Parts: sequence; structure tokens; C-alpha cells
Amino acid sequence: MKKIVLLFILLPTCLQAQKLRVAVAANAQFVMEPLRIAFQKNSGVAVESIVSSSGKLTTQIQQGAPYDVFLSADMMYPETLHKEGLTQNAPTVYAYGTLVLWTMGKLPLSSDLKVLLNPSVRHIALANPTKAPYGEAAMALLQQANLLDKIQPKIVNGESIAQVNQYILSGAAEIGFTAKSVVLDSSLKNRGHWIELPPKGYSPIAQGVVVLKRTTDPKASQQFVQFLRSPAARRILQRFGYRLPTT
Amino acid sequence: MPIDWEPIWLTFELASITTLILLFIGVPLAGWLALSQFRLKPVVETFISLPLVLPPSVVGFYLLLAFSPTSWLGEWLLHTVNVQLVFSFEGLVFASLLYSLPFMVHPIQAGLENLPASWREAAYTLGQSPARTLWRVLLPNCKPALLTGIVLSFAHTIGEFGLVLMIGGNLPGQTRVASIAIYDEVELLHFRTAHAYAALLLGVSFLILLLVYGINKRVTV
Repeated sequence: MKKIVLLFILLPTCLQAQKLRVAVAANAQFVMEPLRIAFQKNSGVAVESIVSSSGKLTTQIQQGAPYDVFLSADMMYPETLHKEGLTQNAPTVYAYGTLVLWTMGKLPLSSDLKVLLNPSVRHIALANPTKAPYGEAAMALLQQANLLDKIQPKIVNGESIAQVNQYILSGAAEIGFTAKSVVLDSSLKNRGHWIELPPKGYSPIAQGVVVLKRTTDPKASQQFVQFLRSPAARRILQRFGYRLPTT
Repeated sequence: MPIDWEPIWLTFELASITTLILLFIGVPLAGWLALSQFRLKPVVETFISLPLVLPPSVVGFYLLLAFSPTSWLGEWLLHTVNVQLVFSFEGLVFASLLYSLPFMVHPIQAGLENLPASWREAAYTLGQSPARTLWRVLLPNCKPALLTGIVLSFAHTIGEFGLVLMIGGNLPGQTRVASIAIYDEVELLHFRTAHAYAALLLGVSFLILLLVYGINKRVTV
């Protein structure tokens, strides 16, 4: 009897150990789904993704979270992990993110961001610039357009790009800065309208990938990282609005 | 590393205001619940207790939807009273009132129910109104319960996190309370600052609870 109970306790953990655990920053949560399916079809390795903000995932990894691969929204967090000796090798850039301005209302969007001065815009959602690269990029654009002083009181910070999306979709914030990969997802494609912001205005949002030292399956993990550079993966990333590294 | 005191003060401001308002709402409500024979009383009690069992994300999600200018409530508040509850300190106060209400009402209600019915009947016989009986006879005799209600509401509001995360918008000086600041510092990998905030909250919470247990013991003995 005891053995049977033990079996049932251990069985689920044994089965889970077969899956590759990929920790994904919130901006890439939508593109991760087709990537996951394509990789699974290619390699036969099952993947499960854990979505959160890059900062939280980094903290979890430092505390021993059992992830195999980490897709960050920037290079800073994976580099920190690399310096601490928690990764197999140095992080590489897998894609460059693109910033968009998104609204559920009928606001006249424009790349010069003048729309933010519109009195019907009471709240502007952006990801916390101290820890989210998309928020940082949005701040750089606002500074460049000399709008920051005027709209500062309207800014609300989401804890990640995912919360910014909640604020915009629920209408709590009339407008917000998010990742292009979000508005291109099929479930959100026809919600509200958006405009892509000029990439000259902010430094490229380089997104790093890294295999973690404590991975249970280094081979499959490396395979996944290599897959991100394959033509199939590049097509998917491009379809979701990411720009790709040239190498 | 320098510590920004603003989130700490904001937390205590939120907790104080919430507790004070809850005292005015909670005492009459607890009095009514303790004494009333109203048939639908269980329904009222259920609504008050809901935040005890619901995850803060459920309450936060519905408040986010309700407070948005696109909802009828949010639109009415915005256009008639010019109040926007999402992303504002007022919104946090409102959410905290909802969320800490059972912590104020339950102890006081229990305290009142434990008093002998004869005291109340004596007061009524002497011609006192129910409100005056509650104020002059019953409440003075359940001070530990009152204190417990006040302290638990205060402590619970200090500890609030999920709700503020959902509807606050992390605005410095307005909605960036200590629990959010700790969360941010941890994400930024600033563990020392996070430690400072967290240790302070831990210490204060410990002292508050110690105080209430100490006083309650002295009163009941």
C-alpha cells in the first residue's frame, strides 16, 4: 500500500522532469506559444513555459528555481546570472523588441506622441522603467519628445508589460506603451488600435537567452537555444514584430 | 543604501485612514449584526466575510474593471463626482475598506454577542434607545474586542499587497506602498533595501500584535 502511495506521489514529478522548463519574460508570452509548438514538433522535446517579469524570474533562478532556459526581456538580467555562475554560458541576443502605442479608444495615434497631451488621456500605462526595458524605452521616447514633464502625472507603472496590457485592455488606462508582439497576437489583433514607434527614439531592446546551470537536460536546452536561430523560429519571431540579430 | 521613507509613511497613512473609517462603519454594523433578528442576516454576514476567503486578485480584478472609466460605475464616478478610483490613493482606501471590513466587524460582533443579554434588557427597561445602549453600556464592556478589531484592521491594511498591485499603478507618493516597494526592490535585485523595508514592517507588525495581546491579557485577567 505504502509503495502505491509513493508511486502516485512520485509519478507526476517524474513525468514533469521530461519537460523542458522555459522561463519567459512577459513581453514574449504570446510568441512563446508558436515557438514552443514548433520546437516540440521538430525535436520531440516537450516544453512548458513559465511567464513572469524578467526581474522576478531572475530572483527565482537565484533562489534555485528549476528552470532550464531563461528568455529575458533584456540582457542585464541574464548577464547578472552569468556573472553569478548560474548559467551554462554567456547570454546571447535572440531578438530585438519593438515598442508600440496602444489604445482601446478612438484616440488619434501618432509617432510624435502628441496624442498623450490630449485631455481625454488621463492615464498612460507603461512598464516600470526601473526594471522593464520596454518601460525604459518608452521613457527615452518621452524624454526625446520633450513630453515627460507635461505628462508625468498621468503615468502609471505596470509591474511588467503584462500588467500594462491589463490596464489598457480593461480601459483603466486610456493609452499605453507595450510590445509589438502583444498587439500582433491573434487573440488581441482586433482589440483597439496601435501604432509602431520609431526605433530611432530608443536604444534597441535586446532580449537575451541563456541556458541555466542547474538544467536537468543540457542537451535539449542547447537545442532550444539553437532552435531560436533557425529559419522556422526566425519566421515566427518576425511574425510577432521582433527584429532579428544579424549573426 | 539610502531608504526612501515615502512608501512606509504612505502605508501607515493608508492603514490609519482605513482603520478610522472602518471604526465608524464597523461598530454600528457589528452592533446591528449582534442584536438584530433580521432574517437575511446570514446574507449580510456572507458579504462582509467574502474578502476573508477570496484571493486579493479576485477582488482586485473586479475593482479594476469596476473603477475603469469604461465601466458604468467608473464613468459615473468620473463624470458626476470627478473621482477616479483606479490608480489613486482614494481607490486604495476604498479597496482597503472592503478588504479589511471583516477584520473590524468580526471581533466586535463576537465581543458584543458574549455580553449577557440582561445588560441590554436592563438598559431598554430603563428607557435607553438601542444606539445609546450600544454606546454607553455594551461597547465600554467589550473594549478588548474593539481594540482587537482596530489593530487587526490596521495590521491587515499594512499587509495588503495583491489588491494594490492590481489597481494601484505603482505611483510614488500615491499608491506605492511598502509591500509594493519591497516587491520592486526584490525584482531589481536590491536585496538590502528590500531587507530594510521588510524588517521594518516585520518589527512594527510584531510590536502592534504584542501590544494588543498584552493589553487584552491585562483586561481579561
